[in-house]
Amino acid sequence: MKIDIKHIAKLARLRIEDDKLEKFEKDMESIVNMVDKLPDVTDTLELDASEPMALREDKAVTGKFTRDEMLANAPEVQAGCLVVPKTVE
Amino acid sequence: MRLYEKNASELSEMLRAKQCSASELCNDVLDRINEVENEIGAFVTVDAEGAKENAARVDKAIADGEKLHPLAGIPIGIKDNISTKGMRTTCSSRMLENYVPPFDAFVADKVKSAGMTILGKMNMDEFAMGSSTETSYMHLTRNPHNTECVPGGSSGGSAAAVAAGEAVVTLGSDTGGSIRQPAALCGVVGMKPTYGSVSRYGLVAFASSLDQIGPMGRSVKDVAMVQSLICGHDPMDATSKNMEYPDYAAGLNENVQGLRIGIPKEYFGNGIDDSVKSAVMEAVKQYESNGAVIKEISLPSTEYAINTYYIIASAEASSNLARFDGVKYGYRAKDYTNLIDMYEKTRSEGFGDEVKRRIMLGTFVLSSGYFDAYYKKAKIVQKNISQEFSNAFEQCDIIATPTVPASAFKIGENIGDPIKMYYNDVCTVTVNIAGLPAISLPCGKDGKGMPMGLQLIGDKFTEQKLLNAAYAYEKMCGGFDTLAKITGEAK
Repeated sequence: MKIDIKHIAKLARLRIEDDKLEKFEKDMESIVNMVDKLPDVTDTLELDASEPMALREDKAVTGKFTRDEMLANAPEVQAGCLVVPKTVE
Repeated sequence: MRLYEKNASELSEMLRAKQCSASELCNDVLDRINEVENEIGAFVTVDAEGAKENAARVDKAIADGEKLHPLAGIPIGIKDNISTKGMRTTCSSRMLENYVPPFDAFVADKVKSAGMTILGKMNMDEFAMGSSTETSYMHLTRNPHNTECVPGGSSGGSAAAVAAGEAVVTLGSDTGGSIRQPAALCGVVGMKPTYGSVSRYGLVAFASSLDQIGPMGRSVKDVAMVQSLICGHDPMDATSKNMEYPDYAAGLNENVQGLRIGIPKEYFGNGIDDSVKSAVMEAVKQYESNGAVIKEISLPSTEYAINTYYIIASAEASSNLARFDGVKYGYRAKDYTNLIDMYEKTRSEGFGDEVKRRIMLGTFVLSSGYFDAYYKKAKIVQKNISQEFSNAFEQCDIIATPTVPASAFKIGENIGDPIKMYYNDVCTVTVNIAGLPAISLPCGKDGKGMPMGLQLIGDKFTEQKLLNAAYAYEKMCGGFDTLAKITGEAK
């Protein structure tokens, strides 16, 4: 199967450098060919009811971290806020 | 014999009998790290100061007669995808090179509460994607049995450190074999617990429905002790199982009389080295002569396991790794023109090639027009694989297989061929697909003098039975010779 690497990369918000494109394409095609071999199945997909997930109570957790702690790893911060490129014209 | 050579269970007793102090033990392991780390490269971060401070605290507690956890003062290394408050957690990726978590993972909290001495963070394949630790952005990790060979992966640092005496025990994580495969290649014990028995809170997610944290060590008892510490219910992980967890180490029993061991023929086919097959069958014979009952079984969907695994794991990875966008934490590209450009540059510069391949495979199998043919089908095959295991466990208590098709390969040998690398996980992925517990045990060395692994698989939440069977094999072998004599030319 032919894979449109540039399209998939765009969907994944990735960019593949031109000099790596050929190798990526070759690798992806052989990986997709590998995973392609699956049996014909007619079953429908159902959730496993035997192990239901337990959700926590829908309650805000406050006071666990300070704003400074939460922003300590941010690439760019100004006046206690995350800085991102302009998104609204 | 130096302290770093001893097992956790032995050291635990020595500390209580005041035959050594936690500080002496800590310093000896730190000395060992200084002696061999240049050659092995198991660590991303060594926290000598923090380790010494903890050891001093434990010594004071012992002197004050405080009641301590059996693992207090035992030096441990933690895989670098497990969040440790105030200690860099990189996932061996440029993306998280400078990330310092503001919180502890559930297991890190357990380790600290028990008073264990955290030595530092262990090298791994980037975001746990790989089987050789070669995809680490940080540096290579070398196999202590032959430093020209890989230690396996993705928990390669965790396995190599235990084999090299740079840690007494370690934590790894296992999505498709990432604890068991490196344990086998480095000749140590590594267990992937039942999905849901160890909280994933604070584990950087790769494939959430398959990931599980687990212990690695030089003896079954050490692994049982660490497992008893880290298991348990945690409301912060919605898939964490709420039940009573036994003290596995206290319950260890080496009696295999009447134990039914299943041998699935699909795990002994083409592609498995003859030396591995015969080593595993030799182990099975030992079980038989000690009273176990051997049964041939069949798990026919095994042939689809690798395919199913790479579809499901990559699909989940593509979604989980979408969070790395350069906004809230982690790497951000330097020059960009707008938001999308920032995302694309950040992710392209922050992730290595293998991570990109998996994100793209995941994006592909989830994309419009391919979802039914790949992802949905893989989820149905997953159900079939689980069902086959359930049926098998009606006929047997434990399943025995090789852990890895062959012993450790040379550094660089497979890195250019993803498919060849992926087939390293052929014996281990089914366990994650079905959510089962499994353990890898050293089972001799091949003609090249490299360790091979025996994998024992149990039914869900039967860790005690699994560990007992493992303990029995260790006794039959007269103990495991797990500490490597470090050899090799490579530097």
